[in-house]
Amino acid sequence: MSGIRKTFGPVVALDGVDFTVANREIHGLLGGNGAGKTTLMNVLYGLYAPDAGTVEVDGSPVTITSPKDAITAGIGMVHQNFLQVDVFTVTENIVLGTDSTKLVAPDGSTQTPAQRIAELSSRFGLTVDPGARVADLPVGVRQRVEILKALYRGAKVLVLDEPTTNLTPQEVDDLFSSMRAIVDDGMSVVLITHKIRETMEVCDRMTVMRDGRWIATVDKADTTADDLAATMIGEIAGGDAEAAALAQTAQVSLGEEELGEASLDTSSEAEPEGAAADTVTPTPARVTVRGLTVAGKGGKPLVDDVTLSLRPGEILGIAGVAGNGQGELAEALTGTRSATGSLSVDGAELVGRPTAAWLGSGVVYVPEDRQRDGILPGAGITENLVLGSHRTRAKAGMINWRAARTEAVAAIKEFSVKTPSAATPCGQLSGGNIQRVILARAFAHNPKLLLLHNPTRGLDLRSTQFVYDRVRRAASQGCVVIVISEDLDEVLALSDRVTVAYSGRLVGEFARGEANPYDLGRLMTGVGA
Amino acid sequence: MSSDLQEAPTGTVDDVAVAPPLAQRAKSMAYAAIPYVIAVLAAFVVVGVLIAVLGHDPAKAFRAVLTNSFRNETGMVQTVHKWAPLTLLSLAFAIPLGAGRFNIGGEGQMILGSVGAAAVGITMSDLPMVVLLPLVIVVGTLAGAVWAGISAWLMESFHVNEILSTVLLNFVSFEVLDYVASVVWSDPGAGGAVTLPIGDGAVLPGIGRPPMHTGVLLVLLVSVVAAVMAKRSVAGFELRAVGLNERASQLHGIRTGRVAVTSMIVAGGLAGLAGAIEVSGVHQRTLEGIQSNFLLLGIIIGLIARGSLTAVPFVAFGIAVLEVGAGSMQRVSGAPVEIVLILEGLILLFLLMSDVATERLQRARAGRSARRASATATPGAPA
Repeated sequence: MSGIRKTFGPVVALDGVDFTVANREIHGLLGGNGAGKTTLMNVLYGLYAPDAGTVEVDGSPVTITSPKDAITAGIGMVHQNFLQVDVFTVTENIVLGTDSTKLVAPDGSTQTPAQRIAELSSRFGLTVDPGARVADLPVGVRQRVEILKALYRGAKVLVLDEPTTNLTPQEVDDLFSSMRAIVDDGMSVVLITHKIRETMEVCDRMTVMRDGRWIATVDKADTTADDLAATMIGEIAGGDAEAAALAQTAQVSLGEEELGEASLDTSSEAEPEGAAADTVTPTPARVTVRGLTVAGKGGKPLVDDVTLSLRPGEILGIAGVAGNGQGELAEALTGTRSATGSLSVDGAELVGRPTAAWLGSGVVYVPEDRQRDGILPGAGITENLVLGSHRTRAKAGMINWRAARTEAVAAIKEFSVKTPSAATPCGQLSGGNIQRVILARAFAHNPKLLLLHNPTRGLDLRSTQFVYDRVRRAASQGCVVIVISEDLDEVLALSDRVTVAYSGRLVGEFARGEANPYDLGRLMTGVGA
Repeated sequence: MSSDLQEAPTGTVDDVAVAPPLAQRAKSMAYAAIPYVIAVLAAFVVVGVLIAVLGHDPAKAFRAVLTNSFRNETGMVQTVHKWAPLTLLSLAFAIPLGAGRFNIGGEGQMILGSVGAAAVGITMSDLPMVVLLPLVIVVGTLAGAVWAGISAWLMESFHVNEILSTVLLNFVSFEVLDYVASVVWSDPGAGGAVTLPIGDGAVLPGIGRPPMHTGVLLVLLVSVVAAVMAKRSVAGFELRAVGLNERASQLHGIRTGRVAVTSMIVAGGLAGLAGAIEVSGVHQRTLEGIQSNFLLLGIIIGLIARGSLTAVPFVAFGIAVLEVGAGSMQRVSGAPVEIVLILEGLILLFLLMSDVATERLQRARAGRSARRASATATPGAPA
């Protein structure tokens, strides 16, 4: 691909990007959120028509205007969200939309679709049960189905968009060895990712993108993780100190940081205090959770008997594959979903009380789905900041909007929200700025228990750093923080203690530095719980 | 990490405006007015053509419609007498709309209000005015609130769609009115479904000549309170929040069900108040057809005002002018009164169309940047 340019209105998403994948290589396409990685590959796959630029496959120029053209040209892509027919079997999903009558095996004999799938599956270590209904399969297996789908259609270049999201470390290993097998068979793989560690682990070469531009293409042998981090972040106006700080965050958020080495200034200050207290007089727990349970429809609870005890300033990380009751757990822990059991903050029991009472006691929830759960998209920033504290700030049932606006302007400054005005509807802000508004509101409550669910999903590097910074600062001020995240690296980097959500339960518990991603991975899949 | 570190990257916003600057606000207000102007003009043009096709003089007809209210005191009093129930019925639609609920039962609630007011006014007709008049007004209001409360309760406890329940209860209310006006307190001399007159102490006093009933002042007060509450109060904020995003509201401690139910009950109360004022101020009794077409017009007003409680009384006044001018138009130009309803309907229709048009324009502009955001999360390729 050369000179690819793509604009969406005034926004230049891709600015003259050159990109080449060699035969038999795993090529990492690396960059932060919004760098243009997925857009570039969507152009290759025919989902977007480029404004300028050409695509060549095997040296001859091709015109790709639809995914069908791309498939014909031997390009296959696996997106983050799979498009599969849930009630069909694995075989049916793979065969769907193809001409299944004349298949020629490598040895020249004819093959049935089932034979072809079985052959591909064993050749590349993509273990699936061809007769299983897709709806019953876990994410990792569904992803294999998707890869098989591309291979079945004769892909020579396979593009994987952030394939490790929601996989356990074990599944990631399997995926990487399958990728290696595919490449050894003469094909090429493009791995879109924002995690430096993954590219260093599996890629032969990597291309770094930033702000829609090609930045660098390097061989793995010629680079280090630190170099890559610096390349991804680019030049920083604020000078060396800032660049170093951002690079550090990049390492954490991009998955490079080694376990136990997370140097967290603020929380490490809090730790000796806690450690000392443990030996002398145990610090009274600030938040105590006992037997918290959310009943489910079919008799199986959505949140099952969760018990926790958290000291002031402690950050608890809850890892887990999506769909293991994290959303329900988050809501139960913040009083936004009815639950049984007990949860107390500073000795005050909250279960059974209305959500407003939880908020009043300092339990603050930063939800995963910011647009749906976090903001009033049609209302201005001022109104969004008032939401939740509107009753406590009111006098005689009336809200002082003038004061609220003044506070909003101050909050916009303090949390560096990029917005034309405090009256701008929140729904018009970018994801990072929406999260800043939500955090500004959360901290205005003086939280005692702050619960964040996937707090950095979809955020760019700076906003991610901002979130981590604020979380650590809150903890250093004695707030109990619970981080529920599907990003294992994030959990490991932030937390003083790590546990795993599996099927509505919390399984295993590790102190900082004791957690090994493979142990956590086993727990995440329910093995060895 | 130092604080200057976080500010620098995002570009510090030193002069974040509390609200957009005045010039910009005036500009955006002017832009907001464009669809209204276009809608009204287009409606008049279409109706003008229609009048001409029917063989009448459009200029004459429009002059009659638009000037009748302002030519003399009688026209003005007629207009404000129409304005009062129109405003209340429109608020009864717009308030639940704020919370995303549709109250299409305004006429049923108004009828029940009129029945409640008449019941008190007839059975306690001997009481002095200081006692009887407030009682009539309060009972009428409560009757409307209870009637709407049935729908609110069904909505909250059994998830019965409030559109259905309010509309269906309208039909029930017609039968209640018929029973009351033809059986319970039927006026034998009236020759129709009309009740006996209410006691003298139940009649709203009039001011001026021809007399304007003081219910108009009450409605004026109600609309000011409603506008202020919507803008400044906790209740108004919660109402808006629930309408904007029910889930987020609930997660932030707002009892969304309670807000929705309250909005329905308040709406019913206002519609009931309209019924009581019609009984006490205009007819001195209740009768079949007292609800007129106030429900329909109230919905039109509420939608033209786009749910803004501040705008409702003003839009209602415009519609009242048209309604009162309709009769005069028929007399002067021969164009039938129904033309006015067509005009009102077309204004709303064109407004909604211009909404869609402006939205498409905006989307064409803003969408391009939004598409970029979604570009990073494109759903899977077609199979």
